[in-house]
Amino acid sequence: MKVLFSAAIALALVSSSPAQTPSLQKPPNLAGAWRVPYTPNLADALGRQPPYTPYGAERWRTVDTAKDPTGTCLPPGPSRVLTSPFPFIIVQQENMIALLFEYQTIWRAIYMDGRKHPADIADYPEFMGHSIGRWEGDTLVVDTVAINARTWLDTAGHEHSPKLHLTERFRKVSEDKIEWTATFEDPVFYVRPWSITRTFTKFDDSKDQDRILPYTCTENNRDVQHLMPNQPNLNYKYEPERQ
Amino acid sequence: MTKKSLLFVIAGIGILLAALPILGHHSFAAQYDRSKPITLKGTVSKVEWMNPHIYFYVDVKDDAERVTNWAIEGGAPSMLYRNGWRIDSLKVGDTVTVEGWLAKDGSNLANMRTATLVDGKTVFGASSGGDSR
Repeated sequence: MKVLFSAAIALALVSSSPAQTPSLQKPPNLAGAWRVPYTPNLADALGRQPPYTPYGAERWRTVDTAKDPTGTCLPPGPSRVLTSPFPFIIVQQENMIALLFEYQTIWRAIYMDGRKHPADIADYPEFMGHSIGRWEGDTLVVDTVAINARTWLDTAGHEHSPKLHLTERFRKVSEDKIEWTATFEDPVFYVRPWSITRTFTKFDDSKDQDRILPYTCTENNRDVQHLMPNQPNLNYKYEPERQ
Repeated sequence: MTKKSLLFVIAGIGILLAALPILGHHSFAAQYDRSKPITLKGTVSKVEWMNPHIYFYVDVKDDAERVTNWAIEGGAPSMLYRNGWRIDSLKVGDTVTVEGWLAKDGSNLANMRTATLVDGKTVFGASSGGDSR
């Protein structure tokens, strides 16, 4: 009887231990096509203005929205792309998570293999930044640096410096919702880190909507001549045949 | 109004409300003046179903029968598609009424809030005016 009892305990321990040990849990599956709530001004999501440094406040006061980098089709940057009104797809593998964006037909690679940011990455900034990720329990934590300072944080014109350090947390709160928290740390523009939280909603895959559609910003970007009359617009002379 | 056409209008308003805040790849405020709404009625002369935002052109007659060609900017094709537009929703020769906002630079350019076909069957909204600044 004692032997049986011990065996039962041993079996219970074996069968229950994976569930009790977070490190052995299989990470949640984030794959799929996700809808993003448009957040053109991060201050609205924050409920107030971000905590500017004097320099950051002056930049915000004087920002010229006609110079929005996306007006000339430059990439939107790693966080603005997730607050723009276009869906994205998550491709999830053990060693990499890829985000494929409809907006600007661009992607982010999140390296999940334990690597660090390259030592010289600050000298070679990327428009979408360099991202490494890890699982903390059921939450994907993504650390991004070397974000090209020509990108803006939103449509309203919140800017950042090359020192911006972006930390994002992706947590699947239900089968069709991901809660995304982005924390911005940039001592040049902001006196302390600040965060916004948004919720992504999974597309209904029964209605042929779980896909991303073409977006080619330079195809017919007629806004450039209005926003920046002195900028060359490669496509402005395009005149489709009168139908 | 029949029950069916009433449903159509309600569906149209729903599409409009769904579309209003979602479009825009850069600042609406830099290019358009929200304090200058305009309504333009005329005949579609050209449609550019292209990225980053669709454009179409409308010949508008004034009281003296002079015709002015207006450029109308809408949203991105992908977002319009998701909100019910199809490539033939607006065709050359269609009569259309556009409500929107004037460009700041004084050109014959407006950003579309709604487009209504003359038969009232189609009401669509698509604007980068979701911009809160």
